Amino acid sequence: MIRVNNVRAGYGDGPDILQGIDLTASGGEIVTILGPNGCGKSTLLKCIAGFVRPRGGAVEMEGRDVSAVAVHDKVKHHRMGFVPQTDNVFSTLTVADNVLLGARHLPVPERNERYAELMAQYPSLASKQERKASALSGGERQILSLARALISTPKVLLLDEPSAGLSPLMMHEVFAAIAAIRDRTGMCIVMVEQNAFEALSVADRAYVLSLGKVAIEGRAADLLADPAMRHLYLGGEPPPAEPHPRLAAVS
Amino acid sequence: MFEFLIHVSIMACLYGLLSLSLNLQVGFAGLVNFGQVILFGCGTYGAAIAFSHQLGPVAGIALGIVFAVVVAAAFARLGRNLGADYWGIATLAVAEVLRILANNEAWLTGGAQGVSGIPLLFGDKPRPMGPLMTLGLCVALLIAAWWLCQRLTTSRYGLALKLMREEPQLAASLGYDLAVLKTQTLMVAAVLAAASGFVFAHYITFVGPDQLVSSETFLIWAMVIIGGSGNHLGAIVGAILMQFLFAFVPFVKDALGLPSEYVAAMRLTLVGGGLLVFLMWRTQGLIPERIGGKQNG
Repeated sequence: MIRVNNVRAGYGDGPDILQGIDLTASGGEIVTILGPNGCGKSTLLKCIAGFVRPRGGAVEMEGRDVSAVAVHDKVKHHRMGFVPQTDNVFSTLTVADNVLLGARHLPVPERNERYAELMAQYPSLASKQERKASALSGGERQILSLARALISTPKVLLLDEPSAGLSPLMMHEVFAAIAAIRDRTGMCIVMVEQNAFEALSVADRAYVLSLGKVAIEGRAADLLADPAMRHLYLGGEPPPAEPHPRLAAVS
Repeated sequence: MFEFLIHVSIMACLYGLLSLSLNLQVGFAGLVNFGQVILFGCGTYGAAIAFSHQLGPVAGIALGIVFAVVVAAAFARLGRNLGADYWGIATLAVAEVLRILANNEAWLTGGAQGVSGIPLLFGDKPRPMGPLMTLGLCVALLIAAWWLCQRLTTSRYGLALKLMREEPQLAASLGYDLAVLKTQTLMVAAVLAAASGFVFAHYITFVGPDQLVSSETFLIWAMVIIGGSGNHLGAIVGAILMQFLFAFVPFVKDALGLPSEYVAAMRLTLVGGGLLVFLMWRTQGLIPERIGGKQNG
């Protein structure tokens, strides 16, 4: 579904933030991108979405090179959904209007049908659909952001730190909703996260970036069980006497 | 006095059109256009060139609209490569370049002398019937423009414009083509400004490059900011208020016993002072933008 081949990218005339990244993500799986601040996680996601154009390498969606395709074209022609990091739910609009912002390109009957489906899936939104979004809790606002991206039935969903600023309880609710989307739709989900433990708990595979390169990749369950990984990213017990050489490089 | 009031009302309506045009750009789409006056100039020079070549007023308005749409397209093209603030500066630069061109290409524009003798739209009707008919036309144009802007901005299209203004990255990620939205907005705004310029040229009967100085752009900005950016009614109220204040400056000057050269300075002070006061203490203007609410269509 998504293939990132040896991508290099940066901003303006600055140095490469991404220094030859390879990544794949298929339908029906959640791939999470982890790593310390400044390692290039969000840049990689923006590169896949099209906000940042790669300086080298290629981004492919369904086997087609989309490195130079604009974001809105990816949304329309490659059925991509993107949920940005910042809270950009419009408090002064109703919940319904916020969700329908994502449905501009759908014919009205399809739009109404999709909206009804989403309200059935997210009862917390349905009960407040005519109220201003300011009445929503942090977790509900994030669910609303997801619903806004989902109304156009994307095949690929890119999430930039969906748990940012949420309490642990709400975070759990949001990750459960993301896992449910994968299970229900078979969508390809790529998610950048700071909360490694929660992200690995719902993800199928993970990439850990360090200084613009992939330091570790593997099945999420394996990484979650890895003592060295737990020590470095999850605040767990100390690493074994001889950590994995790539983990040593990351630390 | 009656004819003076008609004159001020006509000018208020024409500035109201320009104010609506700028408000559509900056108040709804977030397009910081500092070259607004040149869109108005396209209308005035459309009328002037059509008159010089004896093509008639229909050709004049058509020319004005074509010029304005071309300039709007050029502005939009510039916006693809520039950030919002740099784009604002670029529009100011383009407007100045076009004003200098109008000042120097005498074979087409009449140069610094401009084009005079442009006929009144309603011929030589006896006073005050002629000016009254012009006022009627201006009021009708203003109402039509307000209706158009209202229709546009209360639809989902208007919501898309506000989304682009507030969260451009989010708008793109929801499938909105920002370049197309900007181009469409600029073109609609350009047509409104050109219509204002066309009527102005046929009312004043003279077109010259001095009408296109950048201070005119900032006067329109002051009208929008004082009236209320993001609110069509606010933009119109700002234009009417400023125009009437401007008209009564000479009376104030006489009352205070000041020399005549103070009039221009007092008007500039009104623009600058008004801008400053509203930017510091009432950023939402006299009639604030209506946030949220039901959308049509």
